[in-house]
Amino acid sequence: MAYQWDFTPVLTNADLLAQGLVNTLKVTGTALACGLVLGLAFALLRLSQNRLASWPAGFIIEVFRTTPPLVQLFWFFFALPLIAGIEMTPFMAAAVTFSIQSAAFFAEVFRAGIVSVERGQWDGARAIGMTHNQALRRIVLPQAVKRMIPAFMERAIELMKTTTLVATIAYADLLFAANEIAQKTFRPLETFTVAALIYFVFITAFSLLARRFERRLAVSGESTVH
Amino acid sequence: MHWDFASVFANTDALLAGAVGTVRIFAICLVLGLSLGLVVGLGRYSRHRLFYWPATAFVEFFRNTPVLVQILWFYFAMPMLLPFSIDPLAAASLGISLNSAAFSAEIYRGGIQSIDRGQWDGARALGMSFLQAMRRIILPQALKRLTPALTNRAIEIFKMSTLASAVAYVELLQQAKLIASLNFNPIEAYTAVAVIFFVFLWPLVQLTYVLERRLARDE
Repeated sequence: MAYQWDFTPVLTNADLLAQGLVNTLKVTGTALACGLVLGLAFALLRLSQNRLASWPAGFIIEVFRTTPPLVQLFWFFFALPLIAGIEMTPFMAAAVTFSIQSAAFFAEVFRAGIVSVERGQWDGARAIGMTHNQALRRIVLPQAVKRMIPAFMERAIELMKTTTLVATIAYADLLFAANEIAQKTFRPLETFTVAALIYFVFITAFSLLARRFERRLAVSGESTVH
Repeated sequence: MHWDFASVFANTDALLAGAVGTVRIFAICLVLGLSLGLVVGLGRYSRHRLFYWPATAFVEFFRNTPVLVQILWFYFAMPMLLPFSIDPLAAASLGISLNSAAFSAEIYRGGIQSIDRGQWDGARALGMSFLQAMRRIILPQALKRLTPALTNRAIEIFKMSTLASAVAYVELLQQAKLIASLNFNPIEAYTAVAVIFFVFLWPLVQLTYVLERRLARDE
């Protein structure tokens, strides 16, 4: 007998899915904001002439780019609270893990962006009496950031997909909500299909936006870094 | 804080079983993902709508949904449509392989497109068919350019293999969970697994940097 599809159990639990989606966006937004700030700090440390600054920054970046995100999440959720003697909610563990992880990826984008700005821009800024920090903030970064935007957007999309891992530590994101509904209603096929479609719509919309932006930069003759 | 790795070393056999599981799923997904990716990539390159549209739909769908959702879909949702159940290895391999196929398809397509038009013309002038030209002239050149990107993909697949623990497949992270819950040593167990992954993957990451630099110099 052919399977009888029935989406009503999913629809009656739409509020759970909506709350899950809000939580997914909350983790994504938090990690994105913290990751950008921290990523710039990592990049500046890594570019520093001082090895005491550049080596530790490089090490953190390598570790977080190289190890699997789920291992990092488990480490921050199960191991760190015991080491530091603190309480860690699933949201905190997710926010910390994905912020540092994004920062590690953003740091390499920032670094590539800063390095891509012509030497002459630095020289010019120094010639009119700016300090290193002034030159970086007023001359180099504004030019570099524009080139980095497509890479940032690409990473933000990856981040939204990665946040599904929080379901494994019982944070009520969209995937976790879908799993709950599936178990409650015995309708895994409909529930997981709907959840996949919601992710698909959000991520596709975001990628289209990113592509359009990248084309616009290409048309204005701006180079981009990856 | 007192670190005690002895309780991890006492469970070396459990970790070894996990390592075998990790390598097994990695190998399956690497072979399936990269070979299916080539097929889909050729479809994306094709001018025939019959090949182009299904390949495009496949790529868009699998790139724009999270791989963990795909794994759980294959594990919990798909069996409703089938007369048999799916084991964790099959579900996780399907999710990771199809996801990797979608990503590598775009890598292959980009590589094939980057080959100079004249290579095609030359091959056709010698009387080669489309497939002969693709196999003997275009792909060998494209693959050389694609080696760094495909190596990167392999690293991603290795990292993704940990997601199989979400459906309780026995791999390294799953075994760390087990060891941590039996010995109450999450700090040592998860740190050990993180170190294992880092030690194994770091040289591979460095290799992709070398390959990228060498390629940039050659071209």
